[in-house]
Amino acid sequence: MDLTRTNNKTKLAMCRKYYFGGFAFLPFLWCINAIWFFKEAFTMPPYPQQAKIKQYVIRSAIGAVLWLAVIIAWIVIFQVNRAAWGATADSMSFIIPKGIP
Amino acid sequence: MDDDTLLYGAKHVIMLFVPVTLCMAVVVATISSVTFYTVKDAYLFYTPFHDEDASTGTMAWQSVANALILLCVIVVMTVVLILLYKYRCYKVISGWLLMSTLLLLSFFSYMYLGEVLRAYNVPMDYITLTLFMWNFGVVGIICIHWKGPLLLQQAYLVVISALMALVFIKYMPDWTTWVVLAMISIWDLIAVLCPMGPLRVLINIAQERDEPLFPALIYSSTMVWTVVEENKDADHVPVPGEEDGGFVAQDNSAEATNQRSQRREQVRQNASNTPDVRVVTPRSNQEDTAEDDESQREEAERGVKLGLGDFIFYSVLVGKASSYGDWNTTLACFVAILIACPFTLLLLAISRKALPALPVSIGVGLLFYFTTRQFVKPFMDACAVHQVFI
Repeated sequence: MDLTRTNNKTKLAMCRKYYFGGFAFLPFLWCINAIWFFKEAFTMPPYPQQAKIKQYVIRSAIGAVLWLAVIIAWIVIFQVNRAAWGATADSMSFIIPKGIP
Repeated sequence: MDDDTLLYGAKHVIMLFVPVTLCMAVVVATISSVTFYTVKDAYLFYTPFHDEDASTGTMAWQSVANALILLCVIVVMTVVLILLYKYRCYKVISGWLLMSTLLLLSFFSYMYLGEVLRAYNVPMDYITLTLFMWNFGVVGIICIHWKGPLLLQQAYLVVISALMALVFIKYMPDWTTWVVLAMISIWDLIAVLCPMGPLRVLINIAQERDEPLFPALIYSSTMVWTVVEENKDADHVPVPGEEDGGFVAQDNSAEATNQRSQRREQVRQNASNTPDVRVVTPRSNQEDTAEDDESQREEAERGVKLGLGDFIFYSVLVGKASSYGDWNTTLACFVAILIACPFTLLLLAISRKALPALPVSIGVGLLFYFTTRQFVKPFMDACAVHQVFI
């Protein structure tokens, strides 16, 4: 999809769908939304739908960053405490790293 | 005629090289770092003959038999697809393609991720895994079957092809792979060039209906599909794409806009992969809603299209070559395939119709593989032993 050949209404609709789609535990979608529409929101000459797009882009960016922080925090906490948490943590693990023999 | 000779410039060649190289790189990197994909413990349902230590004669007929079975499956799938397309069962095709992309993006990606993480000994918990897979899969489906940034769509198509190639490398018996590669190229030649060849028929129907040809089946270096808009300018003259979605020179500065309904039967061939192998240049399906069309049209580039089947089988060849662990052979195959790409483009410019992209590349690739393995490798080994540096 080529944004330069899309009209403003469609852009807004796309941006909006991506933004609301992101609430379904899809931070990746927000990340894409923020990057993809960044130029539209901030560097293009103003047009009527721009304010709304800008709002969605900013919120998507914030959401994506928050998610990233949460995921990193969770991974760090989990991996640091995995041994201490015992069997529960082991059953939650997809890959348990092997030690060096 | 001068125009035709410059139909495909360096830009088009590079637009093809980048994704093909990336796809092969993913496959080769995986093959050389993850042992899972080279260990033979299970085989495709379609390749029932796989004696590990049979005599050469047995091995030969078994490989040919396996390849023939696989080819039959592919032919049947192609014919089914064409019948569905002919009778306009777009829903069924969409469902089929959706299912196959879903399978690749969920199950095969899960398997892949697991093996890669295991190989690199990276810890991962199920919560993170679920989140990653969910995001990866859903975004993939959205980008391929709905709308998304072009770059992301291309990336997903490359990833899908690489996964499919890895599955082939893992689950096909050793020699069958080589026979399959040869047979697929021949089949490709027949399917695209014969007057009644299935792929030719498919292209013709698509042309008649003036629809883009299954965007999800085909990697396109520029936009394949367009979005229907509430147009500001009323007079849209639909131009029937001049010929077969094939290598057609398309005049971008043509007056007419080629607006087609955004029909996206994303036909992604399913796991039993029909090789939809053709390099196709798109008709210029840019829609000019902009007022300053003039400049826009000039810039609108003519893209090159390459079937995902091409990606898959190129990668299978290079991946298979690298699975024996000799970098000379791998690089020889890689270069051979890449060099054959512009050659196909050249043929395209000359013949000006859809051409199969497999035969030349795979033919040269196979030639280079066997010659390098049989002649160059022993020579290089001898040189290395005697400390001769060339």
